Amino acid sequence: MTRITLGSAVLRGTVATALMASLMSTSALGAPVDLSKWSPEYVRSIAGTQDFDTAADCAKVTPLDYKGRLTFWYQGVFEGDPDLLRQYYKDFFETFRKTYPNIQLEEQALTYNDLLDKFRTALLGNAAPMAVRLQILGGTEFASKGYLEPLKPEDVGYSTEDFWPGAMKAVTWEGVTYGIPTNNETMAFIWNADIFKRAGLDPDKAPATWDDVVKYSKQIHDKLGIAGYGLVARKNAGNTPYRFMPQLWAYGGGVFDEATANPTYEEVKLDSPQSKAALQASYDMYVRDKSVPVSALTNQQADNQPLFLAGQLGMMISHPSDYDVMLDLQKKATGADKDKAQTVIDNMRYGLIPTGPDGKRAVVFGGSNIHILKPEYVEGGKVDEPAAKAIICMWTSPEWSLKMAYAGSNPGNLNGFKTKWMKERLDNIKFLDVTTSMLPYGIPFPALPQAPEIMNIIVPDMLQNALTGAMPVDEAADDAAKRVRDLMGGL
Amino acid sequence: MGRATVTIVTGKAEARQRVQSGRSGVLREIWEHRADYAYVLPAIAVMLVVIAYPIYYTIELSFFKTPPGLQLRDKTFIGFDNYTTILTSEVFWRVTWNTLIWTLGSTLIAFVLGFATALALHREFVGRGVLRAILIIPWVISAVAASYIWKWIYHSDFGIIGAVLVGLGLADRPPNFIDSVNTVLPSLIVVNIWREFPFAMIMMMAGLQTVPEQLLRAAQVDGASAWQRFWHVTFPHLRNVSTVTILLLAVANFNSFIIPWIMTGGGPSNASHIWITHIYELAFGRQRWGVASAYSVLLFLTLMTLGYFYVRALSGNERQEGSA
Repeated sequence: MTRITLGSAVLRGTVATALMASLMSTSALGAPVDLSKWSPEYVRSIAGTQDFDTAADCAKVTPLDYKGRLTFWYQGVFEGDPDLLRQYYKDFFETFRKTYPNIQLEEQALTYNDLLDKFRTALLGNAAPMAVRLQILGGTEFASKGYLEPLKPEDVGYSTEDFWPGAMKAVTWEGVTYGIPTNNETMAFIWNADIFKRAGLDPDKAPATWDDVVKYSKQIHDKLGIAGYGLVARKNAGNTPYRFMPQLWAYGGGVFDEATANPTYEEVKLDSPQSKAALQASYDMYVRDKSVPVSALTNQQADNQPLFLAGQLGMMISHPSDYDVMLDLQKKATGADKDKAQTVIDNMRYGLIPTGPDGKRAVVFGGSNIHILKPEYVEGGKVDEPAAKAIICMWTSPEWSLKMAYAGSNPGNLNGFKTKWMKERLDNIKFLDVTTSMLPYGIPFPALPQAPEIMNIIVPDMLQNALTGAMPVDEAADDAAKRVRDLMGGL
Repeated sequence: MGRATVTIVTGKAEARQRVQSGRSGVLREIWEHRADYAYVLPAIAVMLVVIAYPIYYTIELSFFKTPPGLQLRDKTFIGFDNYTTILTSEVFWRVTWNTLIWTLGSTLIAFVLGFATALALHREFVGRGVLRAILIIPWVISAVAASYIWKWIYHSDFGIIGAVLVGLGLADRPPNFIDSVNTVLPSLIVVNIWREFPFAMIMMMAGLQTVPEQLLRAAQVDGASAWQRFWHVTFPHLRNVSTVTILLLAVANFNSFIIPWIMTGGGPSNASHIWITHIYELAFGRQRWGVASAYSVLLFLTLMTLGYFYVRALSGNERQEGSA
């Protein structure tokens, strides 16, 4: 297994510095974790250095004998998540019930792609839950419409500086904070070293640029007859923007200026030459070279995982949890498939996401936030605020924000990096330092109420229009830009 | 002249009398059956809440603009603008065309296939019961499960069909079923037919039981060929059940959501969007509640038209049974 000199890679990147500055737009001075020192080595140095007593901390917010009732929806685990995560979710709710035995908790888990639709519908009927954990994309939409109560880390006993500044932007609307980040993650790039070797590529070296990805993908496909890069372009699926936006930003494009240090979201840039170059790269892989899965238009990442494990896919943008998912899938395989899967796992390599032609490296700053609803939108017209704060305090604590993100993400509360469980993760989860190394390159989705439609519908439509030949690349980009302008204009 | 006037007055009086006696008759009927009405009152109340009110609200909402960045209560009245927007939209006509192909293709082929199967299974032969049970499986299987299974059967890289074709040397690479704008809709229609033809089969098998055996025998004695017996005896007897089956299939297909949504989400590039999936995306994905409501009103009117013919067909059946 090759270890890449990631620390130096992180510190070298000049673009990374700018992006890091954007994520740190609020002062990190006095912050418990010094973001300016962020590197795999720094993360290792702070892991396991502090103990936290979650129950005692949360008792200061809501007494442990508090009697109440709470309805709570959350983005839960889905088919693409590892079993380890399922277990931690189960443990969390069991622990909450033990810690707060007099709070009657009615929780409901929903998958990423269903949560927004269901939550919007419930809000229209004033039948929402009292508290909700939403994907990072959703916070601004509901805050801007007035559905959410103001809620900041200080309300549940923490400090705003305990959380990534970029994540706090995603829960802030017109200067008011409406939620608390539970977890934040960035993806990385994985490849199969054996496939690289057989295709005549350096097995221990990730493609440096997106142009290299296009070249490598073609080479793998031409030499081995399998898909090179795991393109994903399904509509209404969170996976698509999470995989296309890093490419778009790396080429210097964007929906707006969200990749800059101080975005204003005023100018639409989807039809810029840089954005079109990014779209062209996808077109080249799908249409010209036919080097990616044909099923990319209907696939999600959960469909690419078994292909990768079957040795039928060379490389893809990968979630931090993918290594654990591969282990789970390997355990479930039988006969010769089990050995084959093990070979793929042994040949699995993680690296930083490639850069654009100008050396720009970017990744979506993902995660989730937790919110409290206004009583008038909640079933029964009442919100049990102490009960809601109890669960929020617990979920966003250093302990649970780490445990609930154990395999697939990183703690929203930066103090989670100091816990013993972080140290355990670093020892047990391969490649974790690679995905955490991508954090400083993370770019949050535009903090706009229109962001879900742009990311889940307009961007995938643009890709599909170009990749199916329904529109030439230029026209697809122009069409998408026009739709964003219309959307922002209130149409 | 005078006589004519008298006639008119008499006519008006009779009419008034008829109306009055009619009214009192209806009221008397209601009063006499008050217990019956009381029994169905809860059901009517529920219908009003869960059907009538949503219909009213949808129609009302279709006249409002509902900006995605605002709450629904901030809607603004815009008259028929949503309808104009829809009818002048290129996407609408494309989706409508898809819906027509989807509905007509699925309905007619499922009906013909179901009818043919019913005719084949109408004869006695060994294993008929088992075969009948097997053929009903697609209809009883969950549409969600069926959609996922078919998605993998069709998978453009590792689908079973592609693997078999490549394995047999009939194709160099797996065919592209659902990732191409040209083949996606026909591919989905095949899945829908697979799921629906057992319904047509059951309906037609039931219909075939009602064809009088003595008529068929008499026709055979008269020297009618198998085709002539089918065309002149069997088919006329199945006319009403055929009409009802086709209408039920058409209504179900117009409202069909699960298969296209799960398998393709309306894609790629809107090539498999039909009205119902497009309405869902407009409402829940893009929060254009006003436009989605206007779409729904159009869909409602279309389905009501189909419903009218369905009721007429049923009434025809009843009349026919009554006269028989």
